Amino acid sequence: MRPLAPPLTLSENILGYLSFLNRALKANFAYKASTVLGLFTAALTYGITVLVWNHVYDQKGSSLNVTRQEMFAYLAMAFCLNYALTINIDQRVGQRIRLGLIATDLLKPLDFQMTQAFQALSDCIFNGFIALGIMAVAFSALGRQAFPKSPEAFGFFLASFFLAFIIQYSIVFFFIQGAFYTYSGYGIFASRIAVHHTLSGLQAPLTLYPPILRSIGAWLPFQHVVFTPITLYTGRAEGAQAWHLLGEQALWAAGFYLLGNLVMRKALKQLEIQGG
Amino acid sequence: MLTVPGGLPKMLPLYPMNSALQVQNLSKSYKRRIRQPGLAGAVKALFSTQEQELHAVRDLSFTLQRGERVGLIGENGAGKSTTLKMLTGILVPTGGKVEVLGRVPWRERRQLALNIGVVFGQRPQLLWDIPVQETFELLKTMYRIPPDIYGLVYKEAVRRLGLEPLLATPVRHLSLGQRMRCDLAAAVLHAPAIAFLDEPTIGLDLSVKEQVREFIAHIQEKFGITLLITTHDLKDITETCDRLLLLDKGRLLFDGSIKAFEQKYASDRRIVAETHRPLDSSVAGPLSVEVAKKGGKLIEAEGHRVVVEYHEEGAAPNLIQLLLQQLQVVDINLEKTDIETIVTRIYRQPDRAGD
Ligand SMILES: Nc1ncnc2c1ncn2[C@@H]1O[C@H](COP(=O)(O)OP(=O)(O)OP(=O)(O)O)[C@@H](O)[C@H]1O
Ligand SMILES: [Mg+2]
Repeated sequence: MRPLAPPLTLSENILGYLSFLNRALKANFAYKASTVLGLFTAALTYGITVLVWNHVYDQKGSSLNVTRQEMFAYLAMAFCLNYALTINIDQRVGQRIRLGLIATDLLKPLDFQMTQAFQALSDCIFNGFIALGIMAVAFSALGRQAFPKSPEAFGFFLASFFLAFIIQYSIVFFFIQGAFYTYSGYGIFASRIAVHHTLSGLQAPLTLYPPILRSIGAWLPFQHVVFTPITLYTGRAEGAQAWHLLGEQALWAAGFYLLGNLVMRKALKQLEIQGG
Repeated sequence: MLTVPGGLPKMLPLYPMNSALQVQNLSKSYKRRIRQPGLAGAVKALFSTQEQELHAVRDLSFTLQRGERVGLIGENGAGKSTTLKMLTGILVPTGGKVEVLGRVPWRERRQLALNIGVVFGQRPQLLWDIPVQETFELLKTMYRIPPDIYGLVYKEAVRRLGLEPLLATPVRHLSLGQRMRCDLAAAVLHAPAIAFLDEPTIGLDLSVKEQVREFIAHIQEKFGITLLITTHDLKDITETCDRLLLLDKGRLLFDGSIKAFEQKYASDRRIVAETHRPLDSSVAGPLSVEVAKKGGKLIEAEGHRVVVEYHEEGAAPNLIQLLLQQLQVVDINLEKTDIETIVTRIYRQPDRAGD
């Protein structure tokens, strides 16, 4: 009889997650057609947003405190950031809960939340490369406007992007918990997307939002996914102000991750794995 | 170790070192919305709070020693899968206690995961979009499987389950039976202390079923794995298990060795004789009296066939002698009720444990 296996050490855990990341990336390449379609849809949405703004600038461009060029650069950045941070774990997990497949995920020796974080990272790496390609096109079209304000601003941006990933992942994971109660991912997914689209700064810089929406947004983490990284990239916040933004992001990241963990523990207690 | 309110140690662990699993008064009831049929019923159910409790598992108690090989059977809906879900820690019971390898499964699911292997027949753990081999390698790292153990189980799985041609195929391109074989291999790659197999032979053809049973038996023996299998194919159990648990509407109806099960439910044996010439209808009456004297019961005497049933252990020689004397017998067979017949009979009884 074999002796019982002792718990995994930290490094063994990390090896496990990396091995999982490796396979998740391979799986991401399995659906090329779906990737192309997703990209097309995203580009279409973006194109329409640009057209709308173009029209607004034709009408009353002078009254806005953002120039047309700046606006287009902002939208291009927002589009790419959002594309890179498109994380599908909610749909995936929702589906697995609905069919009871979640059982096999929960029976693994790795932490479920952390495993999903690596799944999200795999999505982010995969989509990030596509986003970089799009950025290259945007750079050539927009010229200097698309460049970061300074090397320092670019550094802030990279840190901010990393935190944005954790926030985005943690938000998605938090919303997933709803699926543990509703046994369906769709409603949860739709409501998250709706809030994300309005409050992240995807369609316009938040500075142009009506005050009421702005103050609601200020109390929520969504702005830190798109708007904050771009603010740092374009140098609209520098020095102490930039550090302050990064600090806020870090707080949201840690807070939402822990909240997700707390809610998950509760959700799992009442989960009834579906199907015989 | 295990105490119940009131402080009485109700289930004393006799061999705490060797015990793999202890279940005490385990219960699970599901709450279900009462819903009338049709679309209108579905809409009404949205606003209704009327709930009905369904007792899937009731007051279940048993203990498994390490290395034991146990089959869990019962009708559809008897509560087998529900039990396995609770033992593996993915479902929280509504009552009772469980300890698996000294841990409470739903509280220490992750720590337990390293030492158990699970197959849920209908739910593959293999990664859907990538080749089978990739999942195996992932599990190797994830479970920190020592190379010698991995090598051994892997080799046996590939050889005995015929996995070679499947390894490079993405899981979504496998047939049900092919996937089941790969999934079984994945579940025991780390040579777990306990294997929970929920219908591991579902959807397999007859020869593959045999391969799977041989593989399970072999791996079990090699590593002394504690085995708990649920199945509807009783051959799985007679070939890989020694002990049987029979669940009936969530309750434990029988717990004991397969031999004890047969003795309890199948004390009847039969002698089937074939005669040279068709039997005359006048034979049946007197023969029936003679057979009764020797401790048997004439069940059938028609055409070329005579069937005698008996219960006493030593009655067979006398009965056979009688038949040989009285009739011109050309062939004679002793039949024991097989386990499948027994189980079918039990399932058919309307008022077994009763609700
Ligand atoms: N998530 C659930 N919600 C409500 N009822 C459930 C749920 N899961 C199972 N049940 C009910 O609990 C009972 C036991 O189900 P279970 O899946 O344990 O049966 P089983 O013995 O595995 O049957 P089978 O041989 O068909 O696999 C059934 O009556 C089933 O309808
Ligand atoms: Mg079942």
